[in-house]
Amino acid sequence: MDAILIQLLTGLAGASSLFLVAAGLTVIFGVTRVVNFAHGSLFMLGAYIAWSILVHLPRAPGWHAAGVLLAALATAGIGALLEIGLLRRLYRAPELLQLLATFGVLLVVQDLTLLLWGPNDLALPRPSWLRGSVAIAGARFPAYDLLLIGIGPLVLAALWLLFSRTRWGTLVRAATQDREMVAALGVDQSVLFTTVFALGAGLAGLGGALALPDGSANLQMDLTVITDAFVVVVVGGMGSLPGAYLAALLIALLQAFGVMLLPNATLVLMFVVMAAVLAVRPHGLLGRALAPARGEAQATALIRPASPALRGLGLAVLALAMAAPFLAGPFVLSVLTEALVAMLFAASLHAMMGPGGMASFGHAAWFGIGAYAAALAAKGLLMPMPVGLLLGPLLAGAAALAFGWFVVRLSGVYLAMLTLAFAQIVWAVAFQSDLTGGDNGVLGIWPDAWAQDPRVFYALALVLCAGGTLGLRRVLFSPFGYALRAARDAPARAEAIGLWPARLRLAAFALAGAAAGLAGAVGTYSKGSVFPTTISISRSVDALLMVLLGGVQTMSGPIVGALAYTGLYDVLIRATDLWRLCLGLIIIALVLAFPQGIAGAAARDRTA
Amino acid sequence: MLEIVGLHSRYGLAHILHGVSFAAAAGEVLVLLGRNGAGKSTTLKSIIGLVRPAAGRVRFDGVDVAGWEPHRIARAGLGYVPEDRRIFADLTVAENLLVGRQPARPGLAPWTEARLFALFPNLATLRDRPAGRMSGGEQQMLTIARTLMGNPRCILLDEPAEGLAPVIVAQMAQAILALKAEGVTVVLAEQNLHFAASVGDRAAVIETGRVIWSGPMAALQGDAALRAAHLHL
Repeated sequence: MDAILIQLLTGLAGASSLFLVAAGLTVIFGVTRVVNFAHGSLFMLGAYIAWSILVHLPRAPGWHAAGVLLAALATAGIGALLEIGLLRRLYRAPELLQLLATFGVLLVVQDLTLLLWGPNDLALPRPSWLRGSVAIAGARFPAYDLLLIGIGPLVLAALWLLFSRTRWGTLVRAATQDREMVAALGVDQSVLFTTVFALGAGLAGLGGALALPDGSANLQMDLTVITDAFVVVVVGGMGSLPGAYLAALLIALLQAFGVMLLPNATLVLMFVVMAAVLAVRPHGLLGRALAPARGEAQATALIRPASPALRGLGLAVLALAMAAPFLAGPFVLSVLTEALVAMLFAASLHAMMGPGGMASFGHAAWFGIGAYAAALAAKGLLMPMPVGLLLGPLLAGAAALAFGWFVVRLSGVYLAMLTLAFAQIVWAVAFQSDLTGGDNGVLGIWPDAWAQDPRVFYALALVLCAGGTLGLRRVLFSPFGYALRAARDAPARAEAIGLWPARLRLAAFALAGAAAGLAGAVGTYSKGSVFPTTISISRSVDALLMVLLGGVQTMSGPIVGALAYTGLYDVLIRATDLWRLCLGLIIIALVLAFPQGIAGAAARDRTA
Repeated sequence: MLEIVGLHSRYGLAHILHGVSFAAAAGEVLVLLGRNGAGKSTTLKSIIGLVRPAAGRVRFDGVDVAGWEPHRIARAGLGYVPEDRRIFADLTVAENLLVGRQPARPGLAPWTEARLFALFPNLATLRDRPAGRMSGGEQQMLTIARTLMGNPRCILLDEPAEGLAPVIVAQMAQAILALKAEGVTVVLAEQNLHFAASVGDRAAVIETGRVIWSGPMAALQGDAALRAAHLHL
């Protein structure tokens, strides 16, 4: 009983921290409709700034509180600069490109933090009042955690007052519903957006500063926190503050008690709950269906078959690729094989994202299932390579079919988040299971004797990956592909002419999963090993980057994007330690310069 | 007061306005008359800046505001009431009015909640009700009241009587005449000639993105051929 009480209190303290971050994220999303990937970075900056301030202040509680508030204010200022310098230029861009830009910010902040504060975790020397504890039910409970338990509801109440009792709050709520109308009534939106962003950033900074005494400021906190915050915001309902608190409570209690009951499954548990909530309530606990924020351009470009010139170029590239074994050495061939795998991976995501209208945050799941299926077929079942290459897409496609049943009923951000949840479940299984070798992965998977020669394996990869990509293209220009796009653009009308949108989307989802699985299987034999990182969030983001860089509304986009991205990545990693900074800046610059992607921009220039 | 000269507007590739020109004098009610799709709504949106005009001038009090951000145009004293009302459904009536509030303007008695409730008595009893849970007529009154909170010197009304019960339409006409009496210039987009005639001083007839006739309301009413050619269904 006592242990339960202590876990309950631990859970409540965790809920407060989670809520602070999630509240900022949800407020920013509500008004600007930007899903801010860099929100975790603001949390991290809050912690680092608080550390820098607090080590110079006297250790008394009053000074500590002042330092924490100062850190929150500084983070709010950084948020305002970020909004003015970057996001303001992107409000009319498609939401996934906004996401991409904020991911660029995340990369930049990671390297800047490393440069400014160094690689070591920074813990705060804890004065006695921070180390104190209170006797509760015979156990010692940290006094600081009790403080945290109080802060969460306090902040919720303060935000409620701010949004319901002030003109600014009323304007923000009005802008959440119809920002164009708010502008037509004489309200300067840019001031509103900047202040909202600053508030959200300040809340993230406050969360980071408050989390400091219980841990340390470290370079991993941004991604950890953003994943948790995404889950909380989505479970609670995007844009809903009470929902965020409720979800923070649910997730934090789940984590606190999960540690007691299922210590090995805490990672999975959080995402299982999220998937369950979204399956029952597709818009989260207290969320509502989002009307598209009025006042943004949402015209989707038409996808047209390639022009003769582009076809010619494609054929030339293909001919060059076929000639490569006679021109290049083993190293170049292995790099090219990687590029081919990336191309099919990107093309498979594009198929569901562009024509299917389903943007996935967890596309690495299917790639990973394919990779592990091939690896386990080779190492566990001692099967020859063709079996592995067949099992990869089959299993990935089957898993996508089963999981797709939940997914295809959702749309937009919720769909993206559910796919992320599923990818995290697959990742956690791979990471925590003995069958998959856990963190050590599966090693020593090599092609069969007949394909050991890098030239032969390259040729095989070319046939499978280029064939797969062209096959996807063929499908998307078939009647099925047109029906899919009809279901994307006008579900009700598609249904009225006898199409079945949910089934079309499910078929596209499974097809994309199978293609990604094939890419994963080829990649496994090419690399000789597979690790849980294959399924990590950053791998999913890689795929998104490739597609978005290339442009969603072109068929050549994912190909161009995959080649550009893998090339860029290789060059940067070789050239500099600050590759995150460079990659982040390049992503931001590309998004600002080509809001429709590289291939999309080329297509636009042709028509203009 | 408001002078529109050669206004062109596009939605993507669709060219909607082909040089709209008309003028509204201070304190009058000008009716922009035309059939569905003639370009009435686009004209009003282009004036307030929600659609950025491709060419042409929007002179308000002698200043060309074409190409300004909507909030600047609104602050200059132009109010806009959209056809689809666009009330903030989750906000109460009082909060909707609060969003519209702007500083008072010299020479005009500032609108207050009390004065607006006097103009639209139905709203007074609904002060704390979420706007989404009101009838269409009440929402239409709210959207006008909300815009008036900005103390506009000229108000653009986009088919305010559309789809309303006859008794509410009569109230709406009363309200428009009351605004005129306050000295507010009214530009009313309308396809109902009867309603237009009950409030309008002058009319501009718009068809396929051009103003093809303008003159006193009485002259339009006396010209059966013109009405038959351009206004009747």
